[in-house]
Amino acid sequence: MKQYKVGRHVFLSTLGAVLFIAGLVLMLLFPDAEGILMTLPFICVGVGAGVFGGNFSSAMRNRTINKNPQLAKQAEIEAKDERNYMIRNKAKASAYNWMIFVYAAILLAFTLMQVEAYIILTLVGVYLIFIFSYVYYLLKYYKEM
Amino acid sequence: MLDIFFVSAILTMSGALSIKRGYGELKNRLEEIRKLNDIRQEDLAAALEVSRQTIGSLENGRYNPSIILAFKIARYFGMSIEEIFIYEEEQGNETV
Repeated sequence: MKQYKVGRHVFLSTLGAVLFIAGLVLMLLFPDAEGILMTLPFICVGVGAGVFGGNFSSAMRNRTINKNPQLAKQAEIEAKDERNYMIRNKAKASAYNWMIFVYAAILLAFTLMQVEAYIILTLVGVYLIFIFSYVYYLLKYYKEM
Repeated sequence: MLDIFFVSAILTMSGALSIKRGYGELKNRLEEIRKLNDIRQEDLAAALEVSRQTIGSLENGRYNPSIILAFKIARYFGMSIEEIFIYEEEQGNETV
């Protein structure tokens, strides 16, 4: 039976917790910091909380599944189930459609607000990455299927 | 051909192109056959290695199975796919 990884998630969640605490400590130690030190604690807190939360929940989930073989089998079926797979893909596709429209609206709003050009250009660049990756995968799957 | 592909891709992205897929309707006798064989949804799902919800959705006609799952179902009951799944052409389409 497949054993789900626990150790790696425990290690990463510990790393996340350390990063989170380090961020808080930096905030307290350097309240008047400037430049990179001003934003670093917030990045540490944000990334640390995310890494800790994601990996801690995965570690707990995998530990429970490993202790219960029936639950493990059910989890494997749920993960491989073709309907679930299709649902996940459809949800991703819908989210992508929404993202494209919302992103375009934000671009338009920023332009109307006369936000600085480099910010607009960065956003346009990111928008184009989405579009080009879409076309890339269209062509890739067009050739494959 | 590539140009047409790009244009259609862009139109699809903008939602301007709406192509109605001319597929017919796929019905099935799964619920009837399962009950005839006195099998619970849970047991059928476990045997086919799919979730119970998938079996429920198949029986309600909300979800059409992949050809692989259709084969698995047919083999499980010792029947042919056509005996379980019935494909109906859309009205107005020519039957092949």
